[in-house]
This record gives sequence, structure tokens and C-alpha cells, in this order.
Amino acid sequence: MKSKIKYLLTSVLFLILASNFLFGQTNDQCFTCHLDLDDANANLFKSDIHSSKGITCADCHGGDATSDDMEVAMSKEKGFFGVPSRIDRYQVCVQCHADKNKMKKFGSILPTDQYENLQNSIHFKPSFNNQGPIVDCITCHSIHDIKKVTDPTSKVYPTKITALCGSCHSSAEFMKQYNPALPIDQVSKYKSSIHGILNAKGDPNAAECVSCHGSHEIQPVKDSRSLVYATNIPSVCSNCHSDAKLMSKYKIPTDQFEKFVTSVHGVALLEKGDLSSPSCNDCHGNHGAIPPGVESISKVCGTCHVLNMELFEQSPHKKAFDENNFPECESCHGNHGIIYSTDEMIGTQESAVCMDCHSAEDDNKGFNVAGEMKKLIDSLKTEDSETKVILDEAVQKGMDVSDATFSLKDVRQVLIQSRTTIHSFNLEKFKEKIDEGFTIASKAKLTGEEAIDEFYYRRIGLGFSTVIVTLLVIGLYIKLKKVEKKS
Amino acid sequence: MEPIRKKNQNKFFSWLDERYNLTGLIDFAKKKSVPKFRETIWYYFGGIALLLFVVQVISGILLLMYYKGTEDLAFESVYFISTKVSFGWLIRSIHSWSANLMVLSVFIHMFSVYFLKAFRKPRELTWYTGIGLLAISMAFGFSGYLLPWNELAFFATKVGTDIVGEVPLIGEPILKLLRGGEDVTGATLSRFFGFHVAIFPGIFVILLTLHLLMIQRQGIAEPEDYKNLPPAEKKTIPFFPNFAMRELLIWLIVINILAILSVFFPWELGTKADPFTSAPVGIKPEWYFLFMFQLFKYLPGEILFLPGEFVGIFLFGIGGILWAIVPFWDKNSPEGKRNKLLTYFGIFVIIFIIVFTILGFILD
Repeated sequence: MKSKIKYLLTSVLFLILASNFLFGQTNDQCFTCHLDLDDANANLFKSDIHSSKGITCADCHGGDATSDDMEVAMSKEKGFFGVPSRIDRYQVCVQCHADKNKMKKFGSILPTDQYENLQNSIHFKPSFNNQGPIVDCITCHSIHDIKKVTDPTSKVYPTKITALCGSCHSSAEFMKQYNPALPIDQVSKYKSSIHGILNAKGDPNAAECVSCHGSHEIQPVKDSRSLVYATNIPSVCSNCHSDAKLMSKYKIPTDQFEKFVTSVHGVALLEKGDLSSPSCNDCHGNHGAIPPGVESISKVCGTCHVLNMELFEQSPHKKAFDENNFPECESCHGNHGIIYSTDEMIGTQESAVCMDCHSAEDDNKGFNVAGEMKKLIDSLKTEDSETKVILDEAVQKGMDVSDATFSLKDVRQVLIQSRTTIHSFNLEKFKEKIDEGFTIASKAKLTGEEAIDEFYYRRIGLGFSTVIVTLLVIGLYIKLKKVEKKS
Repeated sequence: MEPIRKKNQNKFFSWLDERYNLTGLIDFAKKKSVPKFRETIWYYFGGIALLLFVVQVISGILLLMYYKGTEDLAFESVYFISTKVSFGWLIRSIHSWSANLMVLSVFIHMFSVYFLKAFRKPRELTWYTGIGLLAISMAFGFSGYLLPWNELAFFATKVGTDIVGEVPLIGEPILKLLRGGEDVTGATLSRFFGFHVAIFPGIFVILLTLHLLMIQRQGIAEPEDYKNLPPAEKKTIPFFPNFAMRELLIWLIVINILAILSVFFPWELGTKADPFTSAPVGIKPEWYFLFMFQLFKYLPGEILFLPGEFVGIFLFGIGGILWAIVPFWDKNSPEGKRNKLLTYFGIFVIIFIIVFTILGFILD
């Protein structure tokens, strides 16, 4: 009988323990008491993801969760240490979240590299008062009421993340302790952006801080490892903007990245690593990202192409474009897929963009100006290459024309400037610029021709002197023979 | 009309003769003769070297009008001479080509004197002054090479002076004396400029004067074979006008060659020296130092516990000294006998110089 009772008790105990393990119900005496005491943290912990996974208070605070005797449960002998120190409290999280096996035991599929990423990030640098890292797990995820990221009540849920990041990044008082030069207007700009507007409406797919900057692995923007480093931005944006399924909801095209990588800007940035070339954010803004309006396109392009913008704004095209609601630079050059501009874009031939609007029949003036500009630029290029041929010939003949060769480089400069002057669509102004090139080229050409003349002059001079000296030699030889015969 | 002119000429000659005894000089010149034999041709090379030295002096003075011997301006001034100054390119080219032809003529002159045994008694001092003139000619070349301050010259000077620095005991002080410090800098350029236009010309003119005076005083050397001929078989040609006219004829041909070389192969300037860049590939000294440079390349790092470069310098030092003091150790000299060892030694030296110079040009 005794053994039967013993067997029954053992079975009941096993069932209780097994059900606790399987259904997440723990025998957490700390939690039970603190709940009875109406402890705020215990109340929060009720809905904490960790609580549902059977993690007890003692798992983080030490002690014996099975004992209802406070003296025992919170005794040092049982390993109780209370509130973890600010300096290394993250270790409490790390002990499970960096351990694949433990996480598997809790049925989690979460990655276990968060700590490693965090350690390498800017946030994990020591805080100014040396009280641990600037940011640790608790700074963002909080304690006792940690929820799944996909839970709308989580502090790191997409629609809440902006406020969370802004709690530090929008505070001048806080930020000046670490980087006084860093702006603190990101959140307010974000709110004005299309991403921010959608996010405020509760759209979890709209990009927020983490979508672009990453989470645990955040690096300074100027660090090439950062997701928002200039050369990484196009692919970060394309994560969403090239996703046809995601974008279909917003009815926007998804070929921007594809076009950008082959564009003049994309090639310069991504292939040549030229950081002065624009990335997505340079035209669309970063935190305040929004497509530029038709009338502001020239302003956006003009942040780099200043002269082109100024000339365009004074040109007759400005008024016409405004009246017809034509996007300014984009009408001729395109947007994401801007290709290298060539002289074939101007003129009256089929490849010229001028012909998109102008034609010989409807518009004589615009048509003529386009044709004349093309003719002038072509003739300067011809003059430049002809001069180069003459200078090369002089060099081949061993003459020094380095000054002229050097000054001829200014023609290339004039050509660049004249291509900018095209944006004035003013023939007189354009001609004035082209004439500067002709003056330089003809001067260099003259120098080259003079050098070639000098080469032949030297040869002729040598010929004369050689003939004279040879005649003297012959004369002297005849005289010598006479003298020797005599003697 | 004719007699009056002749009368005036005679009057002018008498006026000069009364004061400077020109008749004496003319008598001396009339008596002066040159032995005529198979190897007479070699007698002309001393004269060619003299002509080229005169060309060097004249073209050098013309270059001095524009050249600036400082680190900042040397290259630019030579560039200015070559491109902007009227006939500057020609003067510079003539100076460079003439320098090379002069060193070549001096070498040929020296070897002809050596093989004809013209250094023997009583002309030992003429030989020594000649050796001095050869040394100064090479020093002229070495110092002048740096003056345009181009990349090639800069590094060649660095390598050249480095080798001097390897000479035991005196190497280091000589290196510092030449460079004006530890490295080749603007101070080296100033020094080389001073050597090239003041010190070397001064020494050269003194040695040349002594050399020519000795020749005038002792007459032109006669080879042993010629000397032993019976007086009736000894052919001579008068110095004036016959030999002088022949010399003039050769001078004119040399001037023609010089003009053709200068116009068809103008001397290149290269790029300005930059002491902070690494030495370019293919650094070579002037051709007359090339045989020494090439031998140094073949020497191993260590020969019998001694540094290779030291052994090289030692060998060249001993060889050079032996060559210079040949009148001293040529034991057959007083008897006027043949000395085959001397001839073989000379042939060995010529072959060595030619082979190593060719190797220096072909290889690397």
C-alpha cells in the first residue's frame, strides 16, 4: 500500500512538473509573492514573452524560485544578486540569447548573433560615465514587459520604433554627450516623409529607423560597414522598393534600382566608388524622404549642378516647362536611369532630345538654335582634334610644344563649360563661350605649326652649314695636296 | 695698287716683328716636323680633344648666361634654354655631344700614346699631365651630368657617390665633401656647379698648358720602330703648313659630325628630379663610367670576407694606379725595347672596357 501511495505521489509530481514545462507554467515562488504584493514589475512580467516561456525571476536575478521562504529564495547561498548592475546587465540576456541550444530549448527561432552584432556597433561603445555601454538590450527592449517584435505592443514594433530611437536621438541634452555635431531632427523630418506618414497611420511595412539603419549592428553613417553608407544605400532602399509584391500596394514602380545601377550616377558611386556621386537619399532626402515635386526637380539636381540650374532658371525653357507642367531636368535627362550626356543630345538630328518638342515646321527659332549649337560644338571639337594632330606631329619631330599641349587642355574645359551653357538656351551666350575655345585652339595650332617650321628650318640650316663645311674640307684637301706635292 | 698693299703688309709685319720677334717664331715653326709613318693618324686625336675642349668652353660660357645652379631653378633654366632661348637647344646639344666626343678623343689619345710607348723617357711628365687631363675630363662629365637636375642624373649621382663612399677610411669624408652633406641635395648641385665651371676648368687649363708646353719643348714622340730607322728612311712632314692643314681638315670633319649629332639627336632633358620618389628602373651613368658600374653589378656581396664593392674599388684603384704610373714600372723603358707584357696589358684593358660597356648598354 505504502509503495502504491509513493508511486501515486511520484506520478502526480511528475505530471505537475511536466505540465509546467510543457505549458509554460512555472513554479516561480518569487513571481507568486511579488504578484501578491502587487509589485509593478511582477504585474508587467505577467505578459512578458519570457514569462510565457517559463523563465523565472531567479533566472535573471538569481536565488531559488522554488522556495516560498524569502530568506531562502533570496539568499546569497542560492545565488541571489538582485538587480543586475547597469555595467553588465546585458549579460543576463546574453546567457540565453547568444546560446543556440538554450534558445532552441525554449522553442525560439530567433537569431543568436544579436550580442555579437551589438558588441561591434556604435551603440555598444562605453557610456560617458563609464556605466557600461551607451546602449544595451534593456535600453531598447526594456525589462519585465518584453514582447515579440511582431507584437504591436512591443516597444520595438515598427510603428513604435521611431519614438524609441527618438527618445535619445531627438534629445539635444543626451546626444551632445556623445556627438554634438549629429542632428537631432531625424524624427521630425521622418514624420514629414511618406514613410513617416504611412508609419503614423499604422502601416508596419513603411520604412522606419531599423529598416534602413539595422538594429543590433548599427554603425556610424560614415563607416563603410553601415547599411546607410553612401554605397550601401541603393541596395538598402531596393530591399523594399524593388519588391514588386510589397510595392504593388502603393502603386509605385520597382525598377528604380535597376535603372540607377546603370546610370551615370550609379556607375560613379557603385563601380568607381565616387562618394561625391549621389545616392537615393541625395535627391529624395533621407529621414524626410519624399519624391521631389515637378517644379523642384531643378533645385534638387541644382544642389550639385549649380550652374546648370541657374542657367536653366533664366532660360526661356523655365516658363514653358512651368506652364506645361514638365519636370525640369528630368524631361531631357531622365531620373533614376540618367545616362552620360553626350553632344548627340543637342541638335536637330533624330537622337537629339530637342526634337522631342521642337520641329522645323512648328518652331523655327528653337529648331534653329538647337542646330546652330550642335554645329558650333562640333566645329570646336574638330578644331581641337586637328590642333592635337599638329602638336603630335611636332612632338614626333622632337620639338617641344608642351606649353601649347598644356594650354590646349583648356579647350576641353571650354567644351565642358559650353555644355553647361547649353542650359541657358541662349545662342549668343553659347557662341561667346565656344569662341573662347577657338581662340585657345588656334593659338596652340599656330605654335604647333611654328614648331614644325622650326624643325625644317633646323634641318635646312644644318644642310647649309654641312655643305659649307664640306666645301671647306674639299678646298682644304685640294690645297693640302698641292702643298704636299710642292714640298 | 698691288705693290702698295704688299708694301703696307710688310711695314705692319716689320712693326710687329720688331716688337715680338715673329721671325724667330716662324723659323721655329718651319723647322718643326712630324714623323710620317703607318700610325701617324693617332697623332690627330690630341688635337681633336683640344678642339672639343675649346667648343666646350665657348658653349659652356653661352649656357652660363641662362643656367641657374639651384635645386629649384636648375631644371627650369635648362628647359628654358632648350625651348625659349634662340639656338639654346643647339648650344646645349653641342655642349653635351662635344663633352662625350671629347672624353672619347682623350681615351683614344691616351691609348695611342700607350701603345706607341710615347710615355717613355723623357716624356713621363707629359703622360702624367695627360692622365690628369683624362681624370678632369671624366670629372667634368660626372659633375656636368647632374647640372640639369633631372631624374636620371639625380639617381646616377646618388649611385656614383655611394660607390665613392665605399672606399675605406677616406670614402666617407669624400662622399660628404662631394655631396655637401649626407644625401644628394641642392647643396650637391651647387657644389658640382662650382666644380664644373670654376675649379675643374682652372686645373684643366694649368695641366693643358703644361702638357702642350712639354710637347713643344720635347717635340713629337717617335715610336721605337721609327726611331731605329736609318736617317735617310725617316720620313717627316712639316708641321706648318702640312700637318696643321691636315689637323684643320679633321677639325672641320669633327665639327660637321658634331653639328649632325646635335641636330638629329638633340640631348633629352627628361623629368625633373624628385628626391622623394624611388629610383626609376634603368639608372645608368655616362657611358665612360659604364664599364665600372657594370662590373660592380656582377660582384657578389662578399668576396673572401670582404665587401664586394670594396674589392671592386680596390681592383679599379690598383688598376688605375698601375696604368697611371706605367712609365715607372715599364722596365724596358730606358733601353727603348719592346715590352710585350705592356701591350698585352693594354689590349686586356681595352677589351675589358669595350665588353663591359657593351654589356652595360645591352643588359637591363
